[in-house]
Amino acid sequence: MAKKKKILVVEDETHLAKGLMFNLEREGYDIVVVDNGVSALETLGGDHFDLVILDLMLPKLGGLEVARQIRAGNIRFPILMLSAKSTDKDRQVGLEAGADDYLTKPFHLPELLLRVKGILRRWEWYKQPALDQERFHFDSMWIDFSTGQALGQGGEFFLTTKEALVMKLLVGKKGEVVSREELLEKVWGYDPGTETRTVDNFVARLRKHFEKKPQKPEHILTVREKGYQFVADTPE
Amino acid sequence: MNKLRTLFHPIFVFIGVQIAWIGLMVIWVYWYFENNLKLEEFAEKLRPELFNNEFTWVILLEGSFLMLIILAGVYVIFVYWNKQARLNRLQSNFVSSVSHELKSPLASIQLYLETMKYQQVSTQEARDFVETMLTDTERLSGLIDNILQSSKADPKAMRLQFQPVDIGEFMKEVLTAYKRQFEERKCAVQLDLDGAGVLRVDKRALRMVFNNLIGNALRYSPVGAPLVIQVENVKKYCQIHFIDRGIGIEKKDQKKVFKKFYRAQNIDTQNIEGAGLGLFISREIIKNHKGRLDVESAGRGRGTRFTVSLPR
Repeated sequence: MAKKKKILVVEDETHLAKGLMFNLEREGYDIVVVDNGVSALETLGGDHFDLVILDLMLPKLGGLEVARQIRAGNIRFPILMLSAKSTDKDRQVGLEAGADDYLTKPFHLPELLLRVKGILRRWEWYKQPALDQERFHFDSMWIDFSTGQALGQGGEFFLTTKEALVMKLLVGKKGEVVSREELLEKVWGYDPGTETRTVDNFVARLRKHFEKKPQKPEHILTVREKGYQFVADTPE
Repeated sequence: MNKLRTLFHPIFVFIGVQIAWIGLMVIWVYWYFENNLKLEEFAEKLRPELFNNEFTWVILLEGSFLMLIILAGVYVIFVYWNKQARLNRLQSNFVSSVSHELKSPLASIQLYLETMKYQQVSTQEARDFVETMLTDTERLSGLIDNILQSSKADPKAMRLQFQPVDIGEFMKEVLTAYKRQFEERKCAVQLDLDGAGVLRVDKRALRMVFNNLIGNALRYSPVGAPLVIQVENVKKYCQIHFIDRGIGIEKKDQKKVFKKFYRAQNIDTQNIEGAGLGLFISREIIKNHKGRLDVESAGRGRGTRFTVSLPR
């Protein structure tokens, strides 16, 4: 039997925490609940977890700060934020603090469960070694998929979680065409808020990092009406 | 950009305007003494009957008086405008915090309803879920009561229906509704009803006060912290103390917590929900009972004691 996925639920509303625990356990996950930010970081430091479901309004240490601290130690660890703050600005702040996904309260149970499943699936896929070594070299640049660090045209920098996921998918299938739909499914998990244009925007950002002339890309190529293709070697 | 914004902060604008006026006034007085005397000498040669010394002093005083009136006017406008700006700010904070506070119990109710819809639950679990949802609806209804009460144009005109109520029995009744919450927060309640007797109060209004004080004690205390409720008779008053071991209230905030929409802003409270209405309404209700609502706290992290004093 496969090992149960372990999820840390950080929620100070006892009712909500209990309800989440009940449902997630029914789905076959192993659940630990804590009610404040400080315990969340302690618990995460002391045990292995596959996902954290994080409320924003938490006693002692707020959810945003918890997310930032998790990101400071591990830039890939999956975080699902759950908050009553529902404006676009709140969502943006949450995602910038390091959340992989942001769900507003009140939420629909099936949607929550789907998102949890989606994040875990992407995480599994990301963890699979798609390459012989974690540091992938091309041209005179490199990307370290385990740390998210990369050397681009402008020097060393850190890729965001989603940028790293897009690059990993493209590099893992180098030479092949990857469709926008596949990118959306694997990287965004079909978040209802994302459109196929989002992929194009991300690719534009990645080209700025890795292309000498972003207007005339040599590595991340657009294949008309099909998607994108990664080419490691530049034509002589 | 930020520096520019600081420069246009109402207080700086106000100080700037004041400095400008005082400067103008000084220049005017200076000019009056310097040039007016010369003009006077010149004019006196032409029309000596126009001037006499007493009259010029009247002009100086009149000018200064007008300047002072303008200064006072600007000051009054500033004070009112500042008050209005503060109210607007509080109001918008209130809307965001109240909507946030409404959403939490709502999210819980929705989660349990959907759990019952999508998952197989046993009769025992279903009963437990319903109990939880009922507690959440209580919370929602308490909050809505607070909002309605606070939005009444004149809280002084509160219509209270006084009736004789046994405070001890009433307190026990109120606490029954919290049984589940006390269990969840592992909060041991010590009830000391020695001094409890029959008082003439409005039951509905007093329930709101007790709910607010107990709710606050739970909300601002860590899990496992006890709550002491004591009733005693002191002179002409029946005093009901609510003593918690929560995050406490700093000295500077102790008066302000009774203001409408006010919430103490510090690291302990920033992630605790609240609309800033409960204590304001509670104090208004107690005032309408010709009583007092007071707070004592040794400071942050040292717990809080709220005391309701009602005339016997």
